[in-house]
Amino acid sequence: MKKTRETAGKKLSARTKGYLLLLLMVIVSWGIFKIITPDNFGSAKNMLSYFEASLLAAVGAVGFYFVMVMGMFDFSIGANIMLSAIVGCVFANRFGLGYPGLVVGAIITGALVGLLNGTLYVKLRIPSMIVTTGLALIYESVANYIAGGVEQTLPSGLRAFGQMPGNLILAVIAFAVAFLLLNYTKIGTYTYAIGSNEFVAKNMGISVNKYKVLAFIISGAFLGVMAVLTISYGSSMVAVTGMASMSRNFVPTMGCFFGLAFKKYGMPIPAIIIGEFVINIIFFGFIALGAPTAIQDVITGFALLIIVMLTTKVAKGEIVK
Amino acid sequence: MSEIRLQVKNVSKSFGITKALQDVSFDIAKGEIHALIGENGSGKSTLTNSLTGIYQKDSGQFILDGVEVNPRNQVEANNEGISIIVQELGTLDGLTVAENIFLGHENKFVKCGIKNTGAMNRKATELLKEYGFERIKASDMIEHYNFEDRKLVEIVKATYFNPKIVVIDETTTALSGEGREELYKQMKRIREAGNTVIFISHDLPEVLRLSDTITVLRDGVYIDTVKSSDVDEDGLKKLMVGREVSGEYYRADYGERVSDEVVMRVKNVTVPGLISNVSFDLHRGEILGFGGLSESGMHEIGKACFGASFDREGTVELQDGTQINDIPTAIAHSIAYTSKDRDNESLVMNQSIRDNICLPSLKTLANKLHLLRDGKLKKFAQQFAATMSTKMESVDQFASNLSGGNKQKVVLARWIGKDSDILLLDSPTRGIDVKVKQDIYQLMDKMRKEGKSIVMISEELMELIGMCDRIIIMKDGEINGEIMRDKDMDENTLIAKMV
Amino acid sequence: MANTDKQVTKDSALKKQTIINMLRSALPIIGLVVVFIVFNTLTKGNMWTSRKLILNQVYVVLISTVGVFFIMTMGGLDFSQGSIMGMASIVVCMLSKVNIVLAIVGGVLAGAAIGAVNGFFYVNRKIKSFIVTICTMFLFRGFIKYMASNSPVAASMKVYDYDTLGIKLGITLAVLAVSFLVFRFTKFGIHLKAIGAGEKATKFAGVRTDRVKFLIYVLAGAITGLAAFVNIVKNGSATANVGNQLETQILIALVLGGMPISGGAKVRFENIIVGSLLYIVLNNGLIMMGLTTQAMQLIQGVIFLIFVALFADRQSLSVIK
Repeated sequence: MKKTRETAGKKLSARTKGYLLLLLMVIVSWGIFKIITPDNFGSAKNMLSYFEASLLAAVGAVGFYFVMVMGMFDFSIGANIMLSAIVGCVFANRFGLGYPGLVVGAIITGALVGLLNGTLYVKLRIPSMIVTTGLALIYESVANYIAGGVEQTLPSGLRAFGQMPGNLILAVIAFAVAFLLLNYTKIGTYTYAIGSNEFVAKNMGISVNKYKVLAFIISGAFLGVMAVLTISYGSSMVAVTGMASMSRNFVPTMGCFFGLAFKKYGMPIPAIIIGEFVINIIFFGFIALGAPTAIQDVITGFALLIIVMLTTKVAKGEIVK
Repeated sequence: MSEIRLQVKNVSKSFGITKALQDVSFDIAKGEIHALIGENGSGKSTLTNSLTGIYQKDSGQFILDGVEVNPRNQVEANNEGISIIVQELGTLDGLTVAENIFLGHENKFVKCGIKNTGAMNRKATELLKEYGFERIKASDMIEHYNFEDRKLVEIVKATYFNPKIVVIDETTTALSGEGREELYKQMKRIREAGNTVIFISHDLPEVLRLSDTITVLRDGVYIDTVKSSDVDEDGLKKLMVGREVSGEYYRADYGERVSDEVVMRVKNVTVPGLISNVSFDLHRGEILGFGGLSESGMHEIGKACFGASFDREGTVELQDGTQINDIPTAIAHSIAYTSKDRDNESLVMNQSIRDNICLPSLKTLANKLHLLRDGKLKKFAQQFAATMSTKMESVDQFASNLSGGNKQKVVLARWIGKDSDILLLDSPTRGIDVKVKQDIYQLMDKMRKEGKSIVMISEELMELIGMCDRIIIMKDGEINGEIMRDKDMDENTLIAKMV
Repeated sequence: MANTDKQVTKDSALKKQTIINMLRSALPIIGLVVVFIVFNTLTKGNMWTSRKLILNQVYVVLISTVGVFFIMTMGGLDFSQGSIMGMASIVVCMLSKVNIVLAIVGGVLAGAAIGAVNGFFYVNRKIKSFIVTICTMFLFRGFIKYMASNSPVAASMKVYDYDTLGIKLGITLAVLAVSFLVFRFTKFGIHLKAIGAGEKATKFAGVRTDRVKFLIYVLAGAITGLAAFVNIVKNGSATANVGNQLETQILIALVLGGMPISGGAKVRFENIIVGSLLYIVLNNGLIMMGLTTQAMQLIQGVIFLIFVALFADRQSLSVIK
């Protein structure tokens, strides 16, 4: 009895360590910008709005986590968000289906995109990032066709998910579902098993391909939710072409790397949520500093590079391509 | 005679052009520990992997208690009552101990799609307690435990459901004394329950001590099944190798004096976690053997001398004072290395034989303008592939299409082409059939006579005894003894220093 | 008897394999000829008449593809080529006001410098090449936008003096000739292919793989820096969009040329030339047919996926992520 309590204590400390680390990041990133520009940054109200803004990417990132843990990648995240948002908007607006049309339309589109990504990846046996690069071209084009080349605007009566408490409710539901899938279903166990060693997992009777496709579908559905939040927050969506949707890939991907890094503390999902929050604090910090928008891209690119560098550990002699 | 549990009937399995198993048939009885022995590459693991669904056999049958079984993966095998503890790690990172134990069998704990983690952990804790492994906690992540404890978890995973057959594939070599005793205890428990253990081991005394029956395989072919009480070690060895161990197979000379000239001086070499404070001299024309258990660190010796180890401390110095700290320097100073992991570290698999042989010699093959001609490369490759009598269609063929023995010949051809003077051979005959082995032994003998020096690292004690002027035994990353070439040396002398 | 039967079936299987391989390697060239004839018929010879215009687009893609070809031969990827082109173009524009030779050297050095950044993070920090290069792509795209946001960076009027067929074709042919010679007839080519086919074994055969990998990224940057000069000679100024999407164009071109996506021993130098030509002809043909941007992108995506699937070298990938 005493022993069990001891291990419980030990486990708590691993998790607590993770939380403390994240809290430290929040405080440090807040502190730095608060010192540089104390007037227009970092009040409690500011922080709440940064957190609201970070929910968008956090929802996408917890879904994308399933794909990343298995060691695969997805270049079509941005195109998926764009396409799902436009389909959701068209359902809600043009077809007059209201909120159900928006939410269901976007999530189903996202899941279908995931299904297509996963199926082609598994069937064609091509590296996932290459398949999704090709597919991103196609999704962008399809989104453009559906939008008819014009900006899709969500009517003001349908923007409840763009502000408190709508956005928070939707995000919390999404986080809860991800948490449940990861910790309380076979899917979660098998996701980690495949990510750890595909051959052993296969020998254990896990149908690896099925779960890989499933991971893409889950990821796609969460990106669909992110699409709902994105278009509600920004009120409209333009269907860009020429791989310009790639710029939407970065922020969810960054959060995912936080999740991967904190996996060992047994708390990937909270890490993703707080990680995205930290990223947003830094972004808004730079905005408060008056950095031009173009420079924000520089920061985004650099930030991802640094996050990946700090969070990935490569064994000596391992081959990285 | 006890009842038959498993009939192996005409089982065959090929990997590409390598015939790993050819028409193997024999019976295994209920309530016995049945050992499966043979040299490396004889097909033991292929047979058990086919039985447990890790590989799919090409033809033949496995008949368990009168019913044919044909599992496609380990979980299906488990459902038939067959389980396996594999040689390497069989547990998965990122999962808890409990999740690992029940991987593939979660359905017992799933209700309406929701997994009852609590119930799973309780059941796992119960099992661990039953086995006496209380210090392992069911809800902990598996990566918090070391190799040995993870093996214990595998023992639980493979035996908790009382399977009819448990395969234990060379697990003992990786375990220390305590873990080994635990495994022996479990094996005996399984036998007492009337079930069967198929036990694969290289350690012949261990095999004789533990098993009731022994089946010998050689080059994928069934040789014989004998009662443990009817044979001794020499008898088993004869069955395994297939001839009297003498004559032309290994080198025949004894008592030849090795030159005093030191060609390579290794001083206080340490590679964190693998070897510590290793020092030795390699003489001209000497074959220096390294033996030990596979985890003893001996395989790192070759890499360390080749400049391929990470974070190596200490020095490797050649006769002319050159320090070897990286691979290109090593090769430039006539050092060659063949890895135990031939397919990843020695050969560029999806590359032509030509390029594989020419790779380290490109500098000398180029003309004054640093240009290479295809014809010249081809001729060079053909010449040395022929020296090694490599069986192939042409040098343009990919290395991946060759059998294990011919792959090794390509690797050796590369270094003969480079005319290396110091050869670091790690497990040079691993997974290679007897005929090619003999070719390699003869080549080594010839090189020795030409004044080249060889470091031979091997898990096969017989070939160390047969080939080496001197054998250094490694234990736990350190040198644990040195034995000179002697006609009367036997394996027990070496084993005593190994464990 | 049974043995000879087996031998025969094995031989015929082998023959079938060679025929398939031959067909595969001939496909891009056949494709080029067919596409060229089809579009000429459809446009009633319009394509042939405007061959000069089409040729004018080939140079930049053809030159910068060479560097990426080397990178992909080693099994790496590079998505930052567009931004390299953009940065180098800006440098060329600025320096052209001083001296043309200086401009060329400056462009090459700028490209090489970004290549070195890629190489550093990829080789020294062991981050996957595609992640490093999407980060640098975004990062430097931000710089380009910042520098060219208000007005394009104009080059000296002198650059138009160099806008001759001789110079543009000359540079292109020179780059191709030198790289062909080096790739095909020196140890460089064998080393690159070996790294792509099995990096660990190549390292154990004495190749300084890390150094080669780093230098190739620098080289690829430098080559694209040279292509930037040709680009500026053609256009006279660098806009915020300069070099946009070049990386996708290069990737598609190489894949159309029959390049296996994972590199290795099966790459051919011809992949560069056939692929670039096929890509440009296809693109221009579709434009001449009056297709919209989104329709073209759709077709590009589909063709890209088909070619990747056809030429993927699945043998050498035991686990496809």
